[in-house]
Amino acid sequence: MTRRGTARVQGYALLAATALLAALALRRPEVAVVAAPLALLLAAGTAFSSEPRIDARLDLSTTRTLEGDDVDAELALDSSAAVGRLEVLLDLPDDVELVDGRRAFSLSLRPEERLVPLTLRCARWGVFDVGRVALRATDVFRLVVWERRLRAPVLLKAYPRLEPLRRVVSATETQAFGGNEVSRRPGDGIEYADLRDFAPGDRVRSINWRATARRQRLVVNQRHPERNTDVVILVDSFVDLAAGDRSTLDDTVRAAATLATRYLERRDRVGLVGYGGILRWLRPGMGAAQRYRLIETLLETGVEPTFTWRDVNLIPSRVLGPKALVVALTPLVDARFVTMLEDLRARRFDLVVVEVDPSAVVAPGPGRGGALARRLWLLEREVLRGRLERAGIAVGRFGDDASLDEALEGVRTFRRYASRARV
Amino acid sequence: MQHAGLRIAAIAVVGLAAVLAVGVPALVPVPFLVVGGLYAAQLVVDDAPLDPAAPAFAAGLVVGVELAYWSLDERDGARGEPGDDLRRSAYVAGLGVAALLVAAVVMALVDVVRARGLGVDVLGAVAASLALLAVVLFARGREAED
Repeated sequence: MTRRGTARVQGYALLAATALLAALALRRPEVAVVAAPLALLLAAGTAFSSEPRIDARLDLSTTRTLEGDDVDAELALDSSAAVGRLEVLLDLPDDVELVDGRRAFSLSLRPEERLVPLTLRCARWGVFDVGRVALRATDVFRLVVWERRLRAPVLLKAYPRLEPLRRVVSATETQAFGGNEVSRRPGDGIEYADLRDFAPGDRVRSINWRATARRQRLVVNQRHPERNTDVVILVDSFVDLAAGDRSTLDDTVRAAATLATRYLERRDRVGLVGYGGILRWLRPGMGAAQRYRLIETLLETGVEPTFTWRDVNLIPSRVLGPKALVVALTPLVDARFVTMLEDLRARRFDLVVVEVDPSAVVAPGPGRGGALARRLWLLEREVLRGRLERAGIAVGRFGDDASLDEALEGVRTFRRYASRARV
Repeated sequence: MQHAGLRIAAIAVVGLAAVLAVGVPALVPVPFLVVGGLYAAQLVVDDAPLDPAAPAFAAGLVVGVELAYWSLDERDGARGEPGDDLRRSAYVAGLGVAALLVAAVVMALVDVVRARGLGVDVLGAVAASLALLAVVLFARGREAED
């Protein structure tokens, strides 16, 4: 611990020394009498002060929470000796609020463990180190302080809150494993597909007797099998447009977590590509473990400034399978991401775009010029959307005006009628 | 002399208020030095044999300084537990009483011994030097490995 004298030491010593010198100079013992209590207090305070051994530990009731949820915590303070006054400062990250308790408080400690209950709340998703605590112990006379900073990392992971979503966008192509998506290929399944002539090897139960009687030859039912799909969620982390407590990156991550959860519930394989200053990817997988992997990868998402031109070739082919549905979540602001979308579409990827609408966080500039510039910017965005749709990319808008469900409904409608997309 | 003393005391009070308002702990002793200097000047001018009010003045000085530092301590934002203020009030009161007793004992010793000469001067100079040394040592601060 760092030891230092308080302002009292200097004050008392200055007063005592001046009084003693004045007593000598003026030959007045009363002035020395005035100095005596101050000098005695100074001597006793510095002589009897001993360094306290204080340990502090923050225990969380859980290390994983949802953004906006309360987390109970306990600050355990343990001292080897009695401390007259212990000041505690919880150096919490900006996005972690203290719902119950104070960031800075003081208490007296006996030589035993003392527990201080706290309630934390994460205002947004992310990984937060909440274990930074600054301690300042003062002796009884408040002449000497010992300071210590505890930096043992205590990580609290705040998962993004999921958006309400009833239906997801179905992929055009299915994979080999069983799932909830009706495949367009014939095979063993429940959904009726077509009729065909009986062939050796066909099961008797698949014979359609009515059609056989009508056609005077053996005819069997063909069915669509239920298969799973591969979904790759593509997150644009080139830019983050933020105003107040709103941020396009926050909304993007929330939407990505929602989509990943919903697709995994359908037993689809879900992968992730974070495309920005740092390229992150996670190979498609399924199950609860994959959900945790995906969300924890999403928690690392941040905007890393880069001026390098990125290319779709950087993404490993194992991540972007040929029959995968690629769901891109982007504010459609960075030209590199838009180019990558067009590149993916040109390579015949099944691609949909959920535009995280930034217009709510971009305020118009001052004056008529600012308003005009904003109108032009909005028109340019309309043009960009039209360009993507002409390329066969469905674009759904997600923002203040439209929920994620509405955005995906727009995508489904486009894919139903678009010439180059099949659902 | 009395009017001048009152003026200086008023200036000291205003100075203390200013120091507390600005919140600079290093300046807290200055108004008390002014008041102490006033007291010493009064003693020299009166040239009385031994002032019996010296212990009370010493106790008042200690309590005043402690209250001034307490006022500055309250600015750091670290709120204490319930009952903390009461305990501290009792501590300051106890400190005042202890200062009164210590000063009274020293006063009684001075009255009995009435020693003069080079030895007493040297003793006083050493005590003053030790007090100044304490200022230097604690101003530098010391670090010990945890």
